[in-house]
Amino acid sequence: MALLLTVNGEDRTSGHGAMTPLVDVLRDEFHLKGAKPVCREGFCGACTVLLDDHPVMACLLPAGLAVGARIRTVESLAPDGALSPLQQVMEEHDVVQCGMCFPGMLMSLSGFLAVTPRPTRDEVKAALSGNVCRCTGYERIIDAVLSL
Amino acid sequence: MRMKTGADTFHVATTLHGAVAALADRGHAGAPLAGATWIMRAPLRGGPQQDRSYVALSRIDELRRVEIGERDITIGACVTHAALASALAHIDGCAALVQAAASSANPAVRQVATIGGNLCAWDFASADLVPALICLAANVELTSPDGVERISMERFLARRSELAPGTLLSRIVVARTACGSAHVRLPLRRSGDYPVAIVSLAVKLGQNSTVLTARAAVGSVEVVARRWETLEAGLVGRPLDPQAAAALAGRCLDDFVARDGVEAAGWYRLAVLPSLVRRAAQALLPHS
Repeated sequence: MALLLTVNGEDRTSGHGAMTPLVDVLRDEFHLKGAKPVCREGFCGACTVLLDDHPVMACLLPAGLAVGARIRTVESLAPDGALSPLQQVMEEHDVVQCGMCFPGMLMSLSGFLAVTPRPTRDEVKAALSGNVCRCTGYERIIDAVLSL
Repeated sequence: MRMKTGADTFHVATTLHGAVAALADRGHAGAPLAGATWIMRAPLRGGPQQDRSYVALSRIDELRRVEIGERDITIGACVTHAALASALAHIDGCAALVQAAASSANPAVRQVATIGGNLCAWDFASADLVPALICLAANVELTSPDGVERISMERFLARRSELAPGTLLSRIVVARTACGSAHVRLPLRRSGDYPVAIVSLAVKLGQNSTVLTARAAVGSVEVVARRWETLEAGLVGRPLDPQAAAALAGRCLDDFVARDGVEAAGWYRLAVLPSLVRRAAQALLPHS
């Protein structure tokens, strides 16, 4: 049986098996390359997507468990090319670097800010604790979030 | 609903009895699937491939509930860490469980990983919820085609790797008591990685903060979390004093045979235990 998935508001059909990691379905079948399979152990956060508005690690989620849920990837943040407010402040604070971890950070923060619109610095740090970056300092990313 | 997987079928159960029947039907080829985080990462760490016939539990409403009664709290096996921390955040006596659920792994994993999965991952020495539930003297319910059986955490831990096909951890039951509790862990980073050592402590205090009852558990030091009865005995009958508790812990380290691991050597896991005991005791003092 094919997997019926709702990705960025569209109904999509996957021919992959139910135990295939969602990140592989998104990238290899739906060509949504924003989520990155890096550690595949849930440590780095580069594959973070939203599942029913909650950030989850797409490397650890069998696609079969995503059936019936709303999946959002980083591509949904700027569907018409106009950056989301979160993306805009990241650009304004010049915190975008190699792009490996950044889609995951944006998705973690999108889910977090939807329920915590006025966070403290410590809350932002906690929200990003599952997103690892080897390029940049985290402090400017946090500064950008707090400027929203 | 059945879906194809690479090896077999993937069954999405919608009732507990349906899940038990599906698992019993599959015999040793079957396996329950809750949040799946441990199963999905297992092949990278030399664990088994995902080649079982999985019965997904995440659509079973009765396993996703936290019921807070006057005498006890019943937690469905598919309650996620995030949901557990939220549901019990303001419940007296549950601080150890809340702290364990809210601090393990990272936010995205906590949205998916379940209490049942944490308890059933028999090869996961650093599971946070296990020592927290031991210190709270929790019981677990196993549901099988033969009915429901309630057993202690310790008994469950001894049996969990050999449960008969069709036997499913369905609920965790925590009695409500007058004890305060705390859960202290030491990860190498502030979050995200596995803790080097964990101390969970529940105490009932009398006048002048005298310890009337104590129940302590240690996780991540040995292969399976367990009680620290020597520490408990030394705490009872004396005022709770964090420094004295740490000194007592330091004298009782021979109780453990610590495991070596890539994140920490066994001697280091032991060396940090007194500090974790001190922090747990500090958190349980009335003015904390």
